[in-house]
Amino acid sequence: MDIVLILQMILAAVIAAVMYTIIGAAPGADETATIAPVTLVLVLSGVKPVIILAFFISAIVASKLIDAVPVSIAGIPAGVMSTPMVEHAMVLKKNGLTDTSIRKIASGAIIGTIVSVPVSLFLARALIPFSAVIKQYGDPVFFIGAILLALMSKNKWISLAAILPFALLIQGLRYLYWGIGVVPKGTNVFTSFFLAITIGPVILILFELLNKEKRDNMKRFDKKEIHLKKVEEIKKFPNPFKILTKKEVGYSALASLIGSVTFILSPVGLTTFLGELFSSRTKDPVEKASLAVATMEALAQATYFSGTLIPLVALGIPLSPMSIGPANPLFNAPPVFTLQHNMHHILTNSDFVWATVIGAAVAAAFTYFITVKYSRQICAFVFKRIPHEALLGLFFSLVLLLAFMDAGWINVAGVLLLGIVAGTLYRLGVNYGVLFMILYSAPWIIKTIAGQ
Amino acid sequence: MNNKNNDSKNNIEVWEDLVNIKDLVISLIICSVTTMGAYFIAPKQPPKPLLFGLFGAILGFVICSIIIKPKRVFIETDKEN
Repeated sequence: MDIVLILQMILAAVIAAVMYTIIGAAPGADETATIAPVTLVLVLSGVKPVIILAFFISAIVASKLIDAVPVSIAGIPAGVMSTPMVEHAMVLKKNGLTDTSIRKIASGAIIGTIVSVPVSLFLARALIPFSAVIKQYGDPVFFIGAILLALMSKNKWISLAAILPFALLIQGLRYLYWGIGVVPKGTNVFTSFFLAITIGPVILILFELLNKEKRDNMKRFDKKEIHLKKVEEIKKFPNPFKILTKKEVGYSALASLIGSVTFILSPVGLTTFLGELFSSRTKDPVEKASLAVATMEALAQATYFSGTLIPLVALGIPLSPMSIGPANPLFNAPPVFTLQHNMHHILTNSDFVWATVIGAAVAAAFTYFITVKYSRQICAFVFKRIPHEALLGLFFSLVLLLAFMDAGWINVAGVLLLGIVAGTLYRLGVNYGVLFMILYSAPWIIKTIAGQ
Repeated sequence: MNNKNNDSKNNIEVWEDLVNIKDLVISLIICSVTTMGAYFIAPKQPPKPLLFGLFGAILGFVICSIIIKPKRVFIETDKEN
């Protein structure tokens, strides 16, 4: 590892930490929607894989850590992963402990990072011998994955029922593109389909707005009121181990360990389950709430690391909710990365370790400092200056761009169609994990039905 | 767009936050035009079109952030209770 490359990785990690400290504080900024498109663009523009990995790791640490701010100050989740924490953070807020809440969450994130980075890298190494067995099954693995995720989700039956029709739509579009010659036969349009699913719920609402009756019947709101309490300035650089009690450190570390091992399960489900389980035996409401937020944050960081690193290092195919969502461009971003040739095949073991450690360390140090020191200012800046309309415009235009690059103007319509269907299915209760797994298994499903 | 409904409740919820329909349409148009515009004026050798497109998207985002007001009201209180 030469010094120039290390400096480039540090630079990439710093850029990611700054960017996602801001983006991550915006309400509704889902990790798949914010991190995946940018990572995708980096991959497609030919940046060195090891630098992209450092960027990505820094991005996930920063965007998760900064969640502490909107959750604690305004009770607004900044993404799906922080939803389970809101209830507990509100208990602390009610007791006048907003600043404590921020510091406990940020410290939990540090514990989660320290525990899960070595554990995930170690587990990945240990799993390498089994990867051949898993890969033997190749394509059906994703079909089994879709069924498993469907069975584990809240709405089992609708999720199962959606698999075949949605696979048919995806392959139908691909065969159409081959038929009219906008892409060479055998080339699977992937990137823009992936983004179409991500932004599906938004596309569906945009179409609903075109219907006058629907538009007039939509629930109208006045401006959203956000109550912000002034918190005391923190003078010194706080030590995360001193902010947490011994019990909180212990439980956070244990939760991170469990989260690292169970990388294939849904991060949100796991966070809710373990967080509630660990805190349920504590009686005092304030003590309970602070234990819950620290544990949940530690666990969330751990599932991010394990869900990304274990499939990436050991398998090379995205087999966890994390790797099939935000981390997906590291596995599959044709023509640069494909399932046969991606970071798993290109990077060496020491590359993985360096990129992960640099990315995690830079983001943890930078965002942790910023979070505990300037939480109020960040929250005020994002809520006052960044309109939600601009964020939606940004996502929409990125999807438009990548749709056009994948297969021309016709694919813009194709992506809208896919978005409407994915958005409808999502509203009916099919979660992103199932939809993404269907996207991966569609070629196999259709070939198998056709008996080829 | 809908100017006769001129009461204060003009916002709808999209993706867990509030937007004004007219502002949303303006934002979608601005971002799409800057993104695709930058993509088409870029030199043709890859990855330049993609980088130009990305720059256009960010430019659109900045313009929208300046001309559109967020639909949030900030109420600052001194100290808890």
